[in-house]
Amino acid sequence: MAEQKKENLLEIRDLRVQYNTDDAVVHALNGFSLSMKKGENLGLVGETGAGKSTMALSIMRLLPAKVGEITGGSILYDGIDVVHAPESEMQKLRGERISMIFQDPMTSLNPVLTVGKQILEVLELHFPKMDHEEKNRRVDKMLQLVGISPDRKNEYPHQFSGGMKQRIVIAMALIAEPELLLADEPTTALDVTIQAQILELVRGLKEKFNTAMILITHDLGVVNEVCDNVAIVYGGEVIESGSIDEVYSRVKNHPYTDGLFKSIPDLETNAARLQPIPGHMVDPTNLPIGCKFAQRCQHCSERCRTEAPRLHRVNSTHFIKCHMFEEDTCHG
Amino acid sequence: MAERAALLETRNLRKYFSTPRGLLHAVEDVNLSINAGETLGVVGESGCGKSTLGRTLLRLLPATSGEVLYKGEDVLKYRGKELKKMHMSMQMIFQDPFTSLNPKMSISNIIAEPMKVCGTVKNHTEMNERVHELMEICGLPERYVNTYPHELDGGRRQRVGLARALALNPEFIVCDEPVSALDVSIQAQILNLLMDLQEKKGMSYMFITHDLCVVRHISHNIMVMYMGNVVEYAPKDELFAHPLHPYTKALMSAIPTTDLNKRKRPRQLLTGEVANPINPKPGCRFAPRCPYATERCQQPQELVEAALQHKVACWRCIEGM
Repeated sequence: MAEQKKENLLEIRDLRVQYNTDDAVVHALNGFSLSMKKGENLGLVGETGAGKSTMALSIMRLLPAKVGEITGGSILYDGIDVVHAPESEMQKLRGERISMIFQDPMTSLNPVLTVGKQILEVLELHFPKMDHEEKNRRVDKMLQLVGISPDRKNEYPHQFSGGMKQRIVIAMALIAEPELLLADEPTTALDVTIQAQILELVRGLKEKFNTAMILITHDLGVVNEVCDNVAIVYGGEVIESGSIDEVYSRVKNHPYTDGLFKSIPDLETNAARLQPIPGHMVDPTNLPIGCKFAQRCQHCSERCRTEAPRLHRVNSTHFIKCHMFEEDTCHG
Repeated sequence: MAERAALLETRNLRKYFSTPRGLLHAVEDVNLSINAGETLGVVGESGCGKSTLGRTLLRLLPATSGEVLYKGEDVLKYRGKELKKMHMSMQMIFQDPFTSLNPKMSISNIIAEPMKVCGTVKNHTEMNERVHELMEICGLPERYVNTYPHELDGGRRQRVGLARALALNPEFIVCDEPVSALDVSIQAQILNLLMDLQEKKGMSYMFITHDLCVVRHISHNIMVMYMGNVVEYAPKDELFAHPLHPYTKALMSAIPTTDLNKRKRPRQLLTGEVANPINPKPGCRFAPRCPYATERCQQPQELVEAALQHKVACWRCIEGM
């Protein structure tokens, strides 16, 4: 274990984040743990309100000031304590070593700057000593890589389509060659054929730059196409994690993961009815004492309502947080 | 498509928008037919004219030319009372449950409004009973009756939209991407609800979506659109077993799947993006992105039956058989 820890690029332990609003305290993350290695592609799957985006913002320490608060746990990024690091150190991390792609390409670009200027800005900020021609050469190279002709770098965001804008956002995120890319629903706003193009681009990044990526999405299919490992999030905690093969083979799954799979209409089989998960997402202002999924779970027992389950180890890389898998825990 | 008389048909329905740069061909010569109790799935990417088609059918947008036959009568000619009567049997569910409900109206008022407008209920007691009945059908707990839209989440809001559409007992509903803004577990609940209603009340749907998995699940027939043109039209099983048009094939190959065996499948990626539908050239509109395009694709492509009930607008698919 000790050796493994060394290799880990990112290590999140029992992270707790809450939003203090006027009406109530929203418990967004409740003991969120995650670790990833250099060059790993991790898919983070969950529904609206599961805490996926809060997790990404916490790593970047971009939680809304005064409202968002880290109340416990730790985030270690390559040995740096992100929760307590001084702001100057965080500024070096952001954009240079960790960068982020936001969900909506339409609103994450500055409408009054040319796209070339916006990409160049990253280099000007992080590499002030680099000479101007080198910077421009890098911008051209990066645009080419994401499939946009460098001739268009003097155009403004509104002159590009949604898919093209997302390519520009990706170019901005990658220009400083970060080690970790946080992609928050990068293809949700795009059409399927354009989504396929962007996913192909993202798949190639790992080979070119050995960039690690956390792909945040609600789409189990997208994760299967791009990632090596997957973590399923519910009620602000990871309830299952493992390699794609372990989770998608459907041999052992958390009841929620199982429900997610059963909710998706399948292209191959012709099921007459879907089996949705009953009920709605747990209310983050009023969390139950026991398992957060208990109200919606078919296998719920008295114990689930009163005692929060621990993370059980199904095999060396596959973990499930559910009482049902207690016997499966393999030690060692 | 069948011998039975269709509930709804269109004949060469067109909708053009005039823009400063020329005519935008949003919907071009669409011929469709929906039988009672059946669902037609309309699939396509953003900007292909699928929502415009749905709105034109319901006369929420004026058609440029063509006919919309509902039980054999052209609804495009209706005026005044006839039009109101038509809207009582044809309703719509909108895509975005966050913007299609009036934030200043309570849930009960939203659901009751169509009944007030059309005068289908005699008094308040009857109206309240009907609102409760509709809420129960749509799976909305009674305690929400006096709440406002902002207090509900997306799935419950979409249920309110559905209850409002059902208020007048319509026979036909245009569902414009009703589940695309929802999470998968909630999406499945709404799809099941729509299918149960169809079974119980024999309703017909036109289901507009960009999601091929959803469309396969809910439809009887499927129509694939590209830039205002229908490129393929077939019964669901036939379409998924033998997709013909290169665009349909590309769409199917682009869907991310949860199947482990398909992880490393070769993908047929399309290059480029949807072109501008303003003053388009006469030929096949998919040609600029089509890997098989030749000179002949510059000619207009007719929608021709390539197999039984399976129509496709591509000369290659027809001659290649």
